[in-house]
Amino acid sequence: MGETAGILAEVFFETIGYWWLIIPTIFLGLIVGAIPGFSAANTIIILMPLTLSMSLEAGLVFMVSLYSSARMGAGIPAILVNIPGTAGAAATPLDGYPMAKAGRGQQALAITFVASSLGGLLTTVIALATMPILARVGFYMHSVEMIVVMLFGISLIASIAAQDMLKGLIAGFLGLMIGSIGTDVVYATPRGTFGFLELYDGVPLIPALVGLFAVSEAFVIIEKKLIISKEAQAAMATPSWHATFEGVRIALSRWWHIVWTSIIGLVIGVIPGAGASIASFVAYQQSRSFSKTPELYGTGHPEGLIAPESANNGVTSGTLVPLLVLGIPGGATAAIMLVVMQFHGVSFGPSLFEDQPKIGYGMFMAMAVSYLFMMFTILPLSRYMSRVTAVPTIYLAPMIISFTLVGAFVPREYMFDMYLALAFGVLGYLARRTGYHVAAILIGVILGPLLEKYFLWSLKKSDGDIMVLFSSNLGNILWVGLVLSLALPIILKWRRSRANLVTQ
Amino acid sequence: MRPTNNQPPRMLAGELLIPALAVAFTLYFFSTIWNSPWTAKVSAFLVGGVLLTVCTLLFLRFAFLYKKGRALLSFGELFSREDISSGRVGLIISTVAYTALIDRLGFTLTTFLFLAISMLILSKGRRPALIGVSSAIISLCGWAVFIWAFDTRFPRGWFEVTMKAVLSNG
Repeated sequence: MGETAGILAEVFFETIGYWWLIIPTIFLGLIVGAIPGFSAANTIIILMPLTLSMSLEAGLVFMVSLYSSARMGAGIPAILVNIPGTAGAAATPLDGYPMAKAGRGQQALAITFVASSLGGLLTTVIALATMPILARVGFYMHSVEMIVVMLFGISLIASIAAQDMLKGLIAGFLGLMIGSIGTDVVYATPRGTFGFLELYDGVPLIPALVGLFAVSEAFVIIEKKLIISKEAQAAMATPSWHATFEGVRIALSRWWHIVWTSIIGLVIGVIPGAGASIASFVAYQQSRSFSKTPELYGTGHPEGLIAPESANNGVTSGTLVPLLVLGIPGGATAAIMLVVMQFHGVSFGPSLFEDQPKIGYGMFMAMAVSYLFMMFTILPLSRYMSRVTAVPTIYLAPMIISFTLVGAFVPREYMFDMYLALAFGVLGYLARRTGYHVAAILIGVILGPLLEKYFLWSLKKSDGDIMVLFSSNLGNILWVGLVLSLALPIILKWRRSRANLVTQ
Repeated sequence: MRPTNNQPPRMLAGELLIPALAVAFTLYFFSTIWNSPWTAKVSAFLVGGVLLTVCTLLFLRFAFLYKKGRALLSFGELFSREDISSGRVGLIISTVAYTALIDRLGFTLTTFLFLAISMLILSKGRRPALIGVSSAIISLCGWAVFIWAFDTRFPRGWFEVTMKAVLSNG
C-alpha cells in the first residue's frame, strides 16, 4: 500500500512536469472534440508519427489529455449552437441549448466544464482505487444484460415524448428503424439500404449527427437575426466573470449529482463496446427519473446538463480499466492507445501493474492531472466562448453548414456521407418545423443497431427462446431497476399531486 | 371543413410528413427482408410493427381533429414565400451545390464560394466586401489548420494541390 502510494506520488509529480505538453493538448482536444467528424481517435491517428516519436511517458500524457479534453470539447457546440461534437454529447443540448438561447450560455459552459472536470477527476480516482473489481464488470455483462442497459438509454425517448407521446414515439421508433439499415449481424443480409453499398455497414453516426443537429439547425436559425432572444442580447452585451462564477456555484451546489452520474459513466465505460453516448443518455434519463423537478428538464435545467456531461467524462477513465488490466480496448481511442503502447514494448494485463507500475498508474494520473489543468485553463474561456451566440446567423449558419458537412466526409472519406448528412438535414428540418424531436430520432439511430446486435446474439444463443432475456440474475436485477426507474417518476408525480390536493 | 372555435387550427399536412415518411420507409424496409433469414427480420418487424401502430394512432387522432373542425389539411408555414425571402431556399440550393462541387474544386475554394454566396443571399447583398474578406479568411484558416497543419483527409482540389507544390518547393 505504502509502495503504491509512493509510486502514485512520484508519477503525479512527473505528470505535472509535462504541463507544457498537457496545456496545448487540452486546447487541441477542445477543437477536435467540438467539430463533428473529428474525434480524439481520428486526431491521434493523424498525429501517430508524432506520438510514436515521443518518449512513452510523453506519448501517453498526450493521448490521454487529448482523449479527455476532446470529450469535454464536444459539449461546447452542443450548448452554444445545438450541435453535439460527438454522439457522446448528444444529450447535452437538451438542456444546454435552451440555457444558451436564454442568454445563460456562459453559465451553461461553466457548469459543463466543472461537471466534466470533476466527474472525470472523481471517476479516475475511483477507477484507480477499485480497478480489480471494475475490471470484472465486463465479464458479467453479456448480451442479455447489455439489452437492459440499452433500454435504460432508449427509455429517454419516452421522457422526450412526454409533451406529445405519439409524436415522440414516432420520432424514436423512426430512429430505431433507420438504425436497422445495413446488414444483419448474423447472416449479413442487407436490409433497407436502397441499394447503396455505403449503407451495408449501417448508417454512419457522424452524417446522422451532422444532418439532424447541425444542418437542420442552420436552416432554422436563419429565421432570426441572432440565436439568442432580445432579453438575452441585453445580458450578453455586458458579459462578466459573475456569470462564470454563477455557473461554477450552480455546478458545485449539485456535487452529489456530479458524483452519481459520473459513476454511471464509469461503470458503462468499463464495459467494452459500450460508450459515451449510451452513458450520457442513461445518466440523463436516470437524473430526470429521480429528480424532484422532472418537468424542468428540456427547458434549461442545470441538472439536465450536469448528468450527460459528468457521465461522458466518467466514461474516459472507465475505458482505461479493461485496457490496462485485461488488454481489452473499450473503444476506438483505447484501441489506438494499445497500438502505441505495444510499439513501445508495453505488455498489458494484470502483470502491467507489477512489471511497469509507473506506466499503468501513469495513465490514470495523466488523466487526473489533465482534468485538474482543464478546470483552471478552460473555465476562464467560458466568458469568451459564449460570445458565439451573439454572432449574427447570416454568418453563423453558412459556417456551421460548411465545417460540419465536410466533417461528415472525414471519418470514411465517402462523398456519399456528405449527401447522407444533407438528407438527414432535410429530415431534421422537417421534424423541427412540425414538432418532432430530432434528439429522439438520434437516440434511435445510435442505440438501435447496438440493441439489435445484443438482441440477436441473445436469441441466437438460446435458439430463438425469448425467455433468455430473463435468464440471468444480474439481468433480472437490471430489469427490475429499469421498471423502477420508469415507474418511479409516475409514482412521485402522483404522490406530489395528491399532496398538493391535500394542502389545498 | 372549417375550424369552429377561436383556437388557431392545426396544419395537419405538415405534421403528417414525418409519419408518412416513416410508414413508407417501414414498408420498404419490410419488402427488403421478406425472404431473409429470421435473424434479419425479427427486430425490424418488432420495431416496424410498433412504428406502424403508433403512426396509425396518430392518423386516427388527426382524422378526429379534422372531423371536429379543429384542423386543416394545409402545410401552414412549413413551405411559404417566406422561405424565399428569408434566403432559406437559396441557402438550401447553395448547400446542395457545395456538396456536389467540393469533390471537384476541393475544400478551400468550394468553402470560400459557398460562404460568400450563402452569406450574400442571407444578407440580401449587403456588405459584399466584408463578406468576401471574411469568407476568404475563414476558408484559408480551415485550409491552414485542417489540411496544411494536420493533413486531414479533406477533399483536395486545384488550390490544395497548388499550395502543396508551392510549400514543398520552399
